[in-house]
Amino acid sequence: MEKIKDIFNPLTHIKGRTLVMLIVTQAIVALLFWEIFGGNGLIPTPLRIMKSVVSIITTEYFIDNFFSSLGLTLTGMGISIVIALVVSYLSLIPVFSPLARFIVKCRYLTLTGLIFLFTLITQDGHQLKLSLLIFGIVPFFVTSLLSIIESINVQEYELCKTLRMNNWQALLEVVIIGRLDQVFEVMRQNFAIAWMMITMVEGLSMSEGGLGTMLIKSNKYIDLSTVFAILVIIFAIGIFFDFLLKNMRFWLFPYTKIHVRK
Amino acid sequence: MKYTKNELLIEVQGVNLSYDKQILRDINFRIHNIVRPDVNQGQVISLIGRSGIGKTQLFKILAGLIQPGSGTVKVGLDQHPVVAGEVGIVAQNYILFNHRTVHDNLRLAMKHASNTQNDKEKDALINEYAEKFDLVEHLKKYPMQLSGGQRQRASIIQQVLTGNRFILLDEPFSGLDALMIDRVMELLLGISTLHELNTLVIISHDVENSLAISDTAFILAREKDKEGATITETLDLIELGLAWNPNIRENQAFQTLVSQIKHKI
Repeated sequence: MEKIKDIFNPLTHIKGRTLVMLIVTQAIVALLFWEIFGGNGLIPTPLRIMKSVVSIITTEYFIDNFFSSLGLTLTGMGISIVIALVVSYLSLIPVFSPLARFIVKCRYLTLTGLIFLFTLITQDGHQLKLSLLIFGIVPFFVTSLLSIIESINVQEYELCKTLRMNNWQALLEVVIIGRLDQVFEVMRQNFAIAWMMITMVEGLSMSEGGLGTMLIKSNKYIDLSTVFAILVIIFAIGIFFDFLLKNMRFWLFPYTKIHVRK
Repeated sequence: MKYTKNELLIEVQGVNLSYDKQILRDINFRIHNIVRPDVNQGQVISLIGRSGIGKTQLFKILAGLIQPGSGTVKVGLDQHPVVAGEVGIVAQNYILFNHRTVHDNLRLAMKHASNTQNDKEKDALINEYAEKFDLVEHLKKYPMQLSGGQRQRASIIQQVLTGNRFILLDEPFSGLDALMIDRVMELLLGISTLHELNTLVIISHDVENSLAISDTAFILAREKDKEGATITETLDLIELGLAWNPNIRENQAFQTLVSQIKHKI
């Protein structure tokens, strides 16, 4: 009874089994509601979607498409994080600061208008997709990384000085080593952006396939069960990678667990 | 009490600092090496002033972290201008690197120090200090897992391990209960007597505790109709017979002095 009271009480912190129970109950209620009252409309019910999910993931072409999307996302993420890290660390050297600030503002540039330019620059469909993905992700990465750097307490640099480190050593200790865990967290958060963008860029060149291509084709034939099933798969894979990266962060940087517990 | 004041260790001469208004005005003071027979008698100096007077700015100038508008800070037996890294600082929030264990934080302090010890000797020294200051069981912990007192001890030892003889402490008694204050005092006295030249400069608004631990105190305050804080009074607590006495707080003359200083600042 006390726990039921708690979940309606503002600013109450719930965790562990109570939180899991709350999520599972709400999900079941929502799905039941959808199943019972959504049967007559155009939108497929959860059971039909689940049947489609099972039939999609048991086909051979799904595995090819899945790995095509995953490979593209991971390559794009990898290259983007390297570019973003270089730009962010260089931003601490005054001469490179304007470049970093310009890249941050590139968040407001739409990709649509630049597709033609990228088509001219790149040599094939794969390069086009990869470069658009990187161009789309890097500004978000740089924005997050710069905000991490800006939030560093000046006392950490002062501590470095009292420990007789020069500016380069202080940069290595405080910004690079000291914030690696946060870089990982930025990667986790921005994986969502990359994963979301993948379906969009895959629509530009369908020769390599991919989940985005599957989605666009199904959309074209208004095969909504398949569309929803692919969305569920994309969603589930995204959640899985979020979970994976979160736990990898705890494993690689054990002190981050202490922050969370606090 | 037999003692002599020998070499000059720190000299602050004509330090001024202004931003949009004058913060510090004509700060002058000297710290000498106090020598007592049969004791490694380090120096414990207090700079006492009320909050917002400019203590932190003076703290940073003494550490060589910021340059004054004019004036000089000279340190060491050869009296050279202070360079960042020569004076250790223990900030009010006992800053340590949260991504390193306590042991690694202490090891880092020795990495850039001008010592010739090998890894084994460095670890032995860390263990020696950790044992002395009750941190052995916390060496493998991260700073976030430590209490305020433990962090403070780790932070002080970190600065000692750099080999710095001069350590500045910003408000070391702030936010501590009476029992903890006594432990911190013990710790600071322990550090000051580790080496003849060890010099602790406490910057605080806590008059009673600062005076209780110090051999010399400088009062930082504003003079009437003048902008910027300056040293308005120097208290030689050894001459006054109020230094090096663990029960000094029970002394009537000490209590009278504390209330006079509180009134002045």
